[in-house]
Amino acid sequence: MEKFVYIALFAPFVSSIFAALFGMSPKKTFVGVIASLLLATSFLASALLAMFVYQTGGTIHVTMMDWIGAGDLSIPFGFVVDQISVTMMTVVTLVSTVVHIYSIGYMDHDKSFNRFFSYLSAFVFSMMVLVMSDNFAGLFIGWEGVGVCSWLLIGFWYHKEDVSPEENPSISPSWAANEAFIVNRIADLAMLVGIFVLYWNTGSLQYDVVFANLPYLNQTVLTTAAIALFIGAMGKSAQFPLHTWLTDAMEGPTPVSALIHAATMVTAGVFLVIRANPLYSMPEVGEVSYFIAALGTFVAFFAASMALVNRDLKRIIAYSTLSQLGYMFAAAGLGAYWIALFHLAAHAFFKALLFLGAGNVMHAMDDELDIFKMGGLKKSMRWTYIYMGVASLALAGIPPLAGFFSKDAIIETAFNEGTIVLWAILVVTAGMTAFYSFRQVFLTFEGDERYKEFGIHPHEMYKYVLVAMSPLALLAVIAGFFQGGFQTFITSGDVMPNYAMSEHTHHLVWILGSIVLAFAVGGVLLARYKYASGLKREMKCENSFIYQLLKNQYYVPQFYAEFISKPYAMISEKMWKTVDMKIIDITVDGIAKFIYSSGDDTRKMQTGNLSNYLNWMSFGLVALLIVAAISSVIG
Amino acid sequence: MIELNDYLILSGLLFTIGLVGVLRRKNLLMLFFATEVMLNAANIAFAATSHYYNDLSGQMFAFFIIAVAASEVAVGLGLLIVLYKRHGTLDLDNLASMKG
Amino acid sequence: MDNILSVLVFFPAVAGLLGFVVDKNSIRVYGISVATVEMLLAVWLWMSFDGTNAGMQFVESIPLVPDFGISYYLGVDGISIFIVIMAALMTLLGMIGMSVEKDIKNMIISLLFLEMTMIGVFVSLDAIIFYLFWELSLVPMLYIIGAWGGPLRIYASIKFFLYTFTGSLIMLVGMLFMAHLYHGVSDGIWSFSITDWYMMVLPVNYQIWLFLAFFIGFAIKVPMFPFHTWLPYAHGQAPTIGSVILAAVLLKMGTYGFVRFSLPLFPDASVMMIEPIMVISIIMIIYAAMVAYAQEDIKQVIAYSSVSHMGVIVLGTFAMNAEAISGSIFLMLSHGIVSGALFMLVGVIYDRRHTKLMSEFGGLASVMPKYAVIFGIMLMASVGLPLTIGFVGEFLVLLGFYKVSAIGAILAGSTIVLGAVYMLTLYKRTFFGPVTNDENKKLFDLNGREMVSLVPLVIIVIWLGVYPKPILTPIDNSVKAMLSFMEDKARTPEAKERIIVSSITKEAK
Repeated sequence: MEKFVYIALFAPFVSSIFAALFGMSPKKTFVGVIASLLLATSFLASALLAMFVYQTGGTIHVTMMDWIGAGDLSIPFGFVVDQISVTMMTVVTLVSTVVHIYSIGYMDHDKSFNRFFSYLSAFVFSMMVLVMSDNFAGLFIGWEGVGVCSWLLIGFWYHKEDVSPEENPSISPSWAANEAFIVNRIADLAMLVGIFVLYWNTGSLQYDVVFANLPYLNQTVLTTAAIALFIGAMGKSAQFPLHTWLTDAMEGPTPVSALIHAATMVTAGVFLVIRANPLYSMPEVGEVSYFIAALGTFVAFFAASMALVNRDLKRIIAYSTLSQLGYMFAAAGLGAYWIALFHLAAHAFFKALLFLGAGNVMHAMDDELDIFKMGGLKKSMRWTYIYMGVASLALAGIPPLAGFFSKDAIIETAFNEGTIVLWAILVVTAGMTAFYSFRQVFLTFEGDERYKEFGIHPHEMYKYVLVAMSPLALLAVIAGFFQGGFQTFITSGDVMPNYAMSEHTHHLVWILGSIVLAFAVGGVLLARYKYASGLKREMKCENSFIYQLLKNQYYVPQFYAEFISKPYAMISEKMWKTVDMKIIDITVDGIAKFIYSSGDDTRKMQTGNLSNYLNWMSFGLVALLIVAAISSVIG
Repeated sequence: MIELNDYLILSGLLFTIGLVGVLRRKNLLMLFFATEVMLNAANIAFAATSHYYNDLSGQMFAFFIIAVAASEVAVGLGLLIVLYKRHGTLDLDNLASMKG
Repeated sequence: MDNILSVLVFFPAVAGLLGFVVDKNSIRVYGISVATVEMLLAVWLWMSFDGTNAGMQFVESIPLVPDFGISYYLGVDGISIFIVIMAALMTLLGMIGMSVEKDIKNMIISLLFLEMTMIGVFVSLDAIIFYLFWELSLVPMLYIIGAWGGPLRIYASIKFFLYTFTGSLIMLVGMLFMAHLYHGVSDGIWSFSITDWYMMVLPVNYQIWLFLAFFIGFAIKVPMFPFHTWLPYAHGQAPTIGSVILAAVLLKMGTYGFVRFSLPLFPDASVMMIEPIMVISIIMIIYAAMVAYAQEDIKQVIAYSSVSHMGVIVLGTFAMNAEAISGSIFLMLSHGIVSGALFMLVGVIYDRRHTKLMSEFGGLASVMPKYAVIFGIMLMASVGLPLTIGFVGEFLVLLGFYKVSAIGAILAGSTIVLGAVYMLTLYKRTFFGPVTNDENKKLFDLNGREMVSLVPLVIIVIWLGVYPKPILTPIDNSVKAMLSFMEDKARTPEAKERIIVSSITKEAK
């Protein structure tokens, strides 16, 4: 089985290197095809491993070679395939394979076609390292790897010019790429701190050693580690207040958005919390876990509220990702790790589908993203409509689609844990989710054909692309049915604790489900009532304070620009021009000038007159004699 | 009886005269003479102490100084002549080519 | 070859002297051949080096002034050998990539002479010989900056020379006093040998004063805040090759000095100085990163980034555990490779446009893709991306320093954020966006000569990022031995407690 581990891991790497060889040459379709095939190979290997783990219940642990060894620290390149990682591997490679195939069609006209595949595969490779690693340092390799790949991919169209934030909130692809990288780095610092804490207290970075030592650690250490690792997770998973990069990351080509939001990158934070579940389950860190749940719930609501008013097709989906990540953190924080992972997987399928559908729309609409300029696209893009409709139904949590099962389980968990406030917010958010998803679907596909006045002639995507998307659609529909099986599988090993609802909740399950469903259906119906027939703009509502607040993302980006970026630039400038050039350098030069000028002044003694010199000499002689006399008297 | 002290006082007086000459005179030739006076003051002190301690090295040193002084005068006067030929004066206030 | 070290030291100098009779047109080839032979010798040294032996190897000792215990005493251990190899490598690659045409003969000869002094510093085990090479290294550098530099070259070179020279004079006083103390404790035998000095246990108050004397010399060379202002001028005015050697090797002399002299000679004083040095280093890291962000000149960004990274190195040196000190030495190597490469890259664009201002560029990624790729890799190494050379050292230093002070490590760790801020801003302003300046539209990509000088560095950056073991293990062995020795020698209980001997070493005992 070991060889499958290596195949699963390195097939994307080979694909990336292969595509990179053609990175500077013009478009070659076979590069995309081979990359997709290699990704499919990786998926097959992952699936085989999943079968193996499922059937035998065993885990595979391989150590490839040593990486860093210094002092008592020893970090190997080690990989582990257990229930958690194999689930992630399968989801990641499946979504990635579809995205690769999709990109062959989507990037058809791009002159950097080959380069794109190189980055895309590298992205998947980083994510595979992240999920498969058997130690925190290896995780960090993947962690930073996805960071840099996202930087490359978000800034893929680097040649675009910077514009003002009013024109485009993300300014330019290269700006958004830098923002994503830097914000992630802030979180990475915290993550490193978590790693350091664990190393100095357990003497190792291997998961098994660290987790085995947890019971012997004191509360401060555990809390510090838990908080630090979670801040790391917040950055990757774009939790408030580090969330702004995620929507700006929409500047990247759409397949990238699908990849970032569904399979790689943003799920990494959730994965970390799930992977470190022994730490977060410690009773000493109960407050941290509760904070995770509370923050997750807050972000779920916060992001959903911003999605309500946004006009940008991709940004709406991005907010929905943010919101769903909040759900996952809520579940993980409440201890229902397997439910979080289940929602992660289900979400990956329908979110990828949603983004790829959005990509089809963009392709058809000449890269137009404003849903107010669309409408009535169902005629020309029937399949895309179906796909996006299915995905949105799944996202909204309409049974029997995947989202219903996974999201309902999370909401139930909140109830089961007795956190009624969280439960209520999550329920309301479910309704909002349904509303904004269908607002988007209806504005895009139903109603009057507003695009006509812009002279756009939409057309359906290539057939093979649509076919490639079908597995995702299928999974978005059926994934929910595997909930029970998934629970048995994932909790069969010792890496994931089981979580079951109490008797009490069990009795209420129908009522709870109905409440959630009522909100979801209500949201869909409201969206249908308002938008299905066409766009009616209500200027009074749009000018209201709340609408503007939501539209401007609660002014968080402005706040960051005004209170962090600008002061930082200003202080830096001051540091250079005032402190460095004026204070420090002038002091140094001042000392040099003082020595020089004192020499210059004393030079006047050098009159050239021998008589003067002799006077000075005898003065000095007398002075020395006096000193000698005094010192001999004293001493 | 003339004591050692008397010789030393004489030597000190001569030395002071020479020193004042060195400090006050402006003519290089006069400076030379003043230096000779100072050297001879030292010679007197050497010879006197040598006699007092019955140690000949002091007198040897005096001879040595006389020899050095003689050669110094030979070289120095030669230089003075060259200097006079070039500048037409031996007044120190007018010879300041080493001014920094 | 018993006296391989002498050959390594003097071969470039002798070849440099012979260079005076070489024809002007073939001097470049001559210089590159000499540097290649030197590099091969250095590799040979590495191959025959025993990585498991923590002590000094290839030792040579010839008494020079026996009355004063001055001898020609050379040797390498895991700490110094790789810096020697890096010095040879950077000289070779710098020479290949060099585009200087003016007085090329003098340049090559200066470089070869500089190579002698650099290697000499790192292999000397006698304080006087060390000092000799240390000061001699200033002369060719002064000449390189003063003769081939930019408009302010005279000011910059004199500032560089006098500043570092002042510092090293204070260090010299410290050395003389050390020898005097040794003379006192060893029945009137003089010795300037560092290994002899190691054996001497000094009273704590002497240690502090001596530590400070050495510290000034090293701190100015590093350069540590607030002694760093010579560096931006030197880099700003120096020709590309000068900056490459300066950043890659000359700065490392200071941090190497800390490891070779300060730590083992004055363990108690070093422990007492941890906090002040931590404060200075953190100021240095954050302050230089902010100043780097404000720069308009690409080269100045990299110059200030050097200051920032050197702060991390100094911090690691004083963490007193094997993780951080090994990391710090590894970071010296990685910083040498990466900053050297970055300066070469700036040189490439300067050769084409004769300007280094970011505002003059923009969109270079479209015109010079290969250049952008290599610059991007070096940028990522500079910000410490895992699997590049920059990560290993930075990670180990921060990890090790966390043991000393959590807050200190977090503040110092801001380098990974702030480093990304200024480097990515630099990259965005230079390489991204549309090509706005017409002069940039016809720029040609890297030529063969430049590729030859840069590609090996790219390979090293990735190789040592993925598999640092061949280098890290010998370093680590020597560092562990040094720490165990320091702990034995330390007198104050505080030092005994804070010097952490790794458990592997303890078991071996």
